[in-house]
Amino acid sequence: MPSPRPDVHPPVVTGIGVASGLGHGKDAFRQGLFEGRSVFALLARPGRQRGDGSPPFFGVEMPDPPSILPPRVERTAGLSGRAAVAVLDEAWREAGLDRVAPERIGLIVGGTNLMAREQFLSLRDYAERLDFLPPRHGHVFLDTDICGLCASQFPIRGFAHTIGAASASGAAAIVAAAEAVSSGRVDACIALGALQDVSALDLQGFRALGALGAGPVCRPMDRGHDGFLYGEACAALVVTRPELAGGTIYGRVLGAGFCADGCRGPEPNSDGQVRAAQDALADAGLAAADIDYVNAHATGTPSGDDAELETLRRLNLGHARVNATKSIIGHGLSAAGAVEAAAVLIQMREGLLHPVLHLETPLDEGFGWVRGGMAEHRIRHALKFSFGFGGSNIALVFGAPEGAAA
Amino acid sequence: MDSDRIAEIIIAEIRSTVPELEAQPITRADSMADLGVDSIERSEVILATLEAIGLKVPMVQLHGPRNIGELADLLHAKSKA
Repeated sequence: MPSPRPDVHPPVVTGIGVASGLGHGKDAFRQGLFEGRSVFALLARPGRQRGDGSPPFFGVEMPDPPSILPPRVERTAGLSGRAAVAVLDEAWREAGLDRVAPERIGLIVGGTNLMAREQFLSLRDYAERLDFLPPRHGHVFLDTDICGLCASQFPIRGFAHTIGAASASGAAAIVAAAEAVSSGRVDACIALGALQDVSALDLQGFRALGALGAGPVCRPMDRGHDGFLYGEACAALVVTRPELAGGTIYGRVLGAGFCADGCRGPEPNSDGQVRAAQDALADAGLAAADIDYVNAHATGTPSGDDAELETLRRLNLGHARVNATKSIIGHGLSAAGAVEAAAVLIQMREGLLHPVLHLETPLDEGFGWVRGGMAEHRIRHALKFSFGFGGSNIALVFGAPEGAAA
Repeated sequence: MDSDRIAEIIIAEIRSTVPELEAQPITRADSMADLGVDSIERSEVILATLEAIGLKVPMVQLHGPRNIGELADLLHAKSKA
């Protein structure tokens, strides 16, 4: 259990960039979330089909990222890199990071094995002519190439590195960014949940594990749930010291809990989840009763949903409104924690909650599910869960900006 | 394939590797360094050219040429060897 934060002014989020199947930028994201627009379809990007007549994979793919990079750089950047630059550009401008000294800006990219689909395609294309493999492959296959790409295009000179916690990687990046700002290591830190560009090999692995849904839609927390559906996503959040916030503040990062539960594989663990939440609440100086909204991890796998519901019951969160962003945009894996934290903060600003799509028969009626359309709700204190294979459990507590109307 | 044809391939590969040079006149007398092609881009251009002309030689044997014409001459000589 961590001791409460020594600083009285917790870090704040002042800039957000988002890319998902709903489109590029916050406007598309906001509109799609509140409308509850379903964007699931067969995965069509090269390298995501088995091609042997077996059932195809359903999920969500995003439109091509906007062209921001110089042409000679863009041709060397993969989908994950181009999406990262697009969300970073959006978040950077909104937060006005040009006003901050480059040495005082950090970047933490959440995710590992991010560009697996491109490696899968390279192996296919170059297997018979490896002597002609472009030399650039020797550095672009590394996840840290996304850090290098971002820092080559934006004046980030504090630090730039990756952090991995499977599907909790994006949330882990937020935890680390908040720590870097709270400790004074930097004045501003970008937490970027990178696009996990999966191949048919990875999707088949998820299917073989029994984790992947059959489609065509994903039904988290519903009796009809049968697994998660992959969704391309990427998000960047700018975390800064509050006194440096020039523009608007989305919300405050009040507390974080990040613990290991000792499971190696995909098994969820309610004990670890409860402990992460308790640590986050203690860090924030709050009780579960203070939480009025939960953004659940809610992937739609039967065992995962059951364990998380047990966690919500054990924490006595029956009074809180709950939704599941993966019901709309799918599971972004490495990006999920960041893109869903962006959803929390956008809902906090709008005073609205997005619906849980395809929730017809909730597994547990004892929670304040947002159903049948968006709902008005002023979030004061939000709890965001993010869990990853390998036993990572993360809980984040976000608070409305100080002075925000109750 | 003569040296001039190889130079044309090199120049086409330079333009696809650095699209910013699309409209710039490039001749055998130009060097990739002077055109602003960096060292990794230079390697990409040379490997793509080698594949286009069906030649396999270690990159270390291709240092030395001071411009595109000399590189084309060297590749031409290697392809006849």
